[in-house]
Amino acid sequence: MEIGNLQRRYLDFASTLFHEGFLDNQFTQLQQLQDESSPEFVLEVVTLFFEDSEKLLDELSRTLNQQAVDFKKVDAHVHQLKGSSASIGAQRVKNVCVAFRNCCEEMNQEGCLRCLRQVRNEYFLVKNKLETLFALEQQIVAAGGSVPMMW
Amino acid sequence: MAALAISSCGRRALLVDDNVINRMVVRKLVEEQGIALEEAENGKEAVELVKEGRVFDLILMDREMPVMDGPQATKQLRSLGVTTPIVALSADAMQSDKDSFLQAGADDFVEKPLSVDKFALVLTKYGLQDGQAADQ
Repeated sequence: MEIGNLQRRYLDFASTLFHEGFLDNQFTQLQQLQDESSPEFVLEVVTLFFEDSEKLLDELSRTLNQQAVDFKKVDAHVHQLKGSSASIGAQRVKNVCVAFRNCCEEMNQEGCLRCLRQVRNEYFLVKNKLETLFALEQQIVAAGGSVPMMW
Repeated sequence: MAALAISSCGRRALLVDDNVINRMVVRKLVEEQGIALEEAENGKEAVELVKEGRVFDLILMDREMPVMDGPQATKQLRSLGVTTPIVALSADAMQSDKDSFLQAGADDFVEKPLSVDKFALVLTKYGLQDGQAADQ
């Protein structure tokens, strides 16, 4: 596919991610920090976010499915997930975490399980979108083009 | 845990945050400004670093951390005689949380996540922009 088309596809796709609320301005901040000295910075941060988040989601599932739920522990994990998702601009994940923390404070197990389902859903959605975005970047570079700036 | 990035311009910052991804992003922000950065995973580690004799031009302190939180660490640092600007970092903090952090001795409160622009404002406010580094 011609470079120009790939670049347009990339910009259109990226634009929908922001428009649909998957990403916010913090993601643009990460892209602005990427430079020649750290050309893979965004990929590195997001990859770490994926690894960390999946561990947290597994731990949340385990903790919430115990007989006696340790809501402090659940809240601590959600706090971590909220922080990391905010740091990379994964807005919808972060927003579910805000509601999740409220359920923890109320010690509402059902509410927490509902939030866990929602946050897992939002996490895998944004993971899929970001993987597609990075794949488009790779296609552009492989075709000999440069990844267009979104700002 | 304390990671040190050496720079030649003399400005030194301490980042206190338990979240590994937050630290990765702020590390890049700080290093872009040519500032040497040390990191601590919680308030207790931060206090230990200062007790070991480390001196900083700026401390970025997260609010919620295990072992010792931001306000506690700030109180302890002030009681040790630390006069370094301490900028509290938190997301979605209630006014009462902000007030207690400032009462503990923090100089400023910045909403997370820390952006390029917010960090630039912090550096300017405390005289740490490149070319205006404070004397120690």
